[in-house]
Amino acid sequence: MQQPVPERLQISPFLVLYLIMSMQIGIGVLGYQRIIAQAAGFDAWMSVLGAGLSIHIIVWMIYKICQTVEGDIVAANVYVFGKKFGHLISTVFIVYLLIFALAVLRTFIEVIQVWMFPEINAFLYSFVFLLLSVYIIFGGFRTVTGIAFFCIVLPSYLLLTFSFALKYAEFRNLLPLFDHSIKEMLTSAYNMSLTYLGFEIPIFFYPFIKDAPKSQKWAHLGVFLTTIIYTALAIVTFSYFSEAYLAKSIWATLEMWKIVTMPFVERFEYIGIANWNLVILPNICIALWGASMILKRAYKLKQRKGVIIMALICLAAIPFFDTRLKINLLNDWTAKIGFAVTYGYIPFLFFATMIAKKVKNK
Amino acid sequence: MRQFFKKKLMQDIEKEAAKQGTAGSDEDNCQENSENIHEWEKLLLRSNDYQKTFYVNQRTGKKFCFAFMSTLVDESIIQQSALPYLLEGDFIHLNDVKRLLPIADVQVSGDNSEIERKLFNGYILLTLEDVEDQFVFLAAQKEVVRSVAQPEVEFSVIGPKESFVESLDQNLNLIRKRVPVKELIIENYIVGSLSNSSVAILYMEGITNKDNVNTVIQRVKDIEFDEITDSSYIVQLISDNQNSPFPQLLDTERPDRVAAILAEGKVAILVDGSPHALIGPTTLVEFFGSFEDYFLNYLLSSFFRLIRLFAVAFSILITPIYVAALSYHYELIPKDLLSTLITSRREIPLPPILEALFLELTIELLREAGARLPTKVGQTIGIVGGIVIGTASVEAGLTSNVLLIIVALAALASFTTPVYRMGNTIRLLRFPFLFFAELWGLLGIVVSFSFLLTHLLRLTSLGRPFLEPLYPPRVTDFKDAIIRLPFTRQYNRPQYLRTENPKRFSKKKAKEKKDIDE
Repeated sequence: MQQPVPERLQISPFLVLYLIMSMQIGIGVLGYQRIIAQAAGFDAWMSVLGAGLSIHIIVWMIYKICQTVEGDIVAANVYVFGKKFGHLISTVFIVYLLIFALAVLRTFIEVIQVWMFPEINAFLYSFVFLLLSVYIIFGGFRTVTGIAFFCIVLPSYLLLTFSFALKYAEFRNLLPLFDHSIKEMLTSAYNMSLTYLGFEIPIFFYPFIKDAPKSQKWAHLGVFLTTIIYTALAIVTFSYFSEAYLAKSIWATLEMWKIVTMPFVERFEYIGIANWNLVILPNICIALWGASMILKRAYKLKQRKGVIIMALICLAAIPFFDTRLKINLLNDWTAKIGFAVTYGYIPFLFFATMIAKKVKNK
Repeated sequence: MRQFFKKKLMQDIEKEAAKQGTAGSDEDNCQENSENIHEWEKLLLRSNDYQKTFYVNQRTGKKFCFAFMSTLVDESIIQQSALPYLLEGDFIHLNDVKRLLPIADVQVSGDNSEIERKLFNGYILLTLEDVEDQFVFLAAQKEVVRSVAQPEVEFSVIGPKESFVESLDQNLNLIRKRVPVKELIIENYIVGSLSNSSVAILYMEGITNKDNVNTVIQRVKDIEFDEITDSSYIVQLISDNQNSPFPQLLDTERPDRVAAILAEGKVAILVDGSPHALIGPTTLVEFFGSFEDYFLNYLLSSFFRLIRLFAVAFSILITPIYVAALSYHYELIPKDLLSTLITSRREIPLPPILEALFLELTIELLREAGARLPTKVGQTIGIVGGIVIGTASVEAGLTSNVLLIIVALAALASFTTPVYRMGNTIRLLRFPFLFFAELWGLLGIVVSFSFLLTHLLRLTSLGRPFLEPLYPPRVTDFKDAIIRLPFTRQYNRPQYLRTENPKRFSKKKAKEKKDIDE
């Protein structure tokens, strides 16, 4: 049990929907189609759906854990493992969130370099972007939530633009269904994990939700909406691309924007990528906020300092990832760590908490 | 005729008394130099407008003295409703003054510390020769009031046509007349170590949230400043974030608007000497609603509000988008449009950013010059600027036609904001967007937009979120935000004000509908 957060700093339960969606939708959605199709071909959209449904179990576990310990991840770790070892495990989460933020930021810069400005100064851009994130986090969790809210609502019109691809859609591409083995489908679902990452965040800000148990349905709804969007986008992509062509399209989502034309705008991907800046903003803000919050809770470091330190670490790491290979490696590792944390550690923590609760009650 | 004689007689008596008085006072003056000058009087005596005269009552022979600031006092009150009665009546004791004089505001006091403030509020100090510890204040303020004129900044074609003036009493009168109930509370505070301005805080008991009222009172009390000349000083001194270009309190010159927001549950602040009232807590969208919206049908006013919001977005973004598109993303522009742009830009030696800055600065110069010059000369500036400079710079090949149109439209759009202060903010906002657009094109525009959004998210007005009802999202408050629903739908007071009585009127009655042919 941890000290309750004063009400003026808390957020309404339904805003959890926006927080989860904004954290989930990030950089992965720009090019996940090729990766999932590698293993399961055009049956992969079922993997997307399946993986999305499996998330609900994890979300349910997270809420169970938080309700039991009446607190966040730090409280849960302390509850199960005691102070010293618990804080050590919480540190792993700081590293995870930091790597997550770094991967998102660096990959987005890569998208910019490939599609818009090949010569953009990655360091300067990261500096401005992190400065913006620090400014947001200095406004407190309510400001972070506000950014999450606007960064879902404002770019939501982009969904409509995918309807331009429907004109050239060939839905027979999807047939035959169930053409792949269970193993292939599962591999594909596993490959989807980087794109889905982000649903675990309630475990970081659980004490900041007013009437937290009420927010669970919003969390599930958020995950469900993301699943629907990803699945629909996967189906649209598969019906638009041929399998061989998709295997060569690293950023399939962006390529679908190329055919969008309006009387006053051509080459819509410029607008899309510029708008994507808004989409990834909450990813980085929530990650940095979570990391600095754990630092504060576990090591009593003022969050003001913590955020700046986290941002500086990110900024310092950016120049090291300067080639496509290194960025790929970073993304692979983020996916692996994320998978281990969400599908490995959280269920483990769930059972451990349940056992600890039984033991303590006795 | 008889009246005339009476008057004449009185004047004679007065003169006589004055003679006697001055004769007597000469003698006293000599004494005063040594002992009779009070501590508080020393500085006053050096001012030319401080007057002190001695008189003798004709019946009882009592000697009394008037002290006042001649610049602040209406001397006809002395001559007509004070002196005649005091000279002729049975004036023995100070308490007799209340009985003798036809003046409502007569205060007997023994507090020396009050004297200075009262004198400067236009009171006359009346003392008796042999009574040292008691004296009387007579109200005799000179009221120099500009007559109530039409609102100039917030003019509306339909609706009331009165606006505030510089006198606090007059302004309060205008509001009181519109809200004649005992629940309207007016509290007075004195602010400013030199100006001693009175600040009135208005709210509705039983409606306005106590926290909001207390926040305002506390902040007004905490003001440390010497000369408060206008309510805009108060705004800057009590705003939540003083480093923000956004105004966080709404200012208005319309008494009807103040009455309306009091009923909503907001707090109003009026400052003596300022024809603008302050309103808080406020939200961003309130700055884009003109008060005239309430006089029009809700469909029309909703439409105009949407137009205004579009105008603001257009005004801030269009020049940066031009710069971004022409510097980096010309692929964005469809072929047909591109050829038009190329034709207009073919002869221009400058890059888009310099071209845009040149024109934006020209417009700012024109606006600034127009605002500083007298109206008649100002018109010439408009012609010189708009026609001569605009056409000439296109002909000279410094700017393109298209940009000239864009910049002029953007300037026009920025004039649609109903609150002048917000218009100024929008003027400023365009420039960071321009620089970021030059740096990173569309991406830069989005980055600077994110900064703007964050800033707005972090802003509060008297501790209430500034972006409400957009964030925190509150659907019920949208009824009077970006659009305005009909009055029958406005049965609740705005949620963010946390009013003590959230119901404006019974929802049931308003919703009752007759069936067909009943």
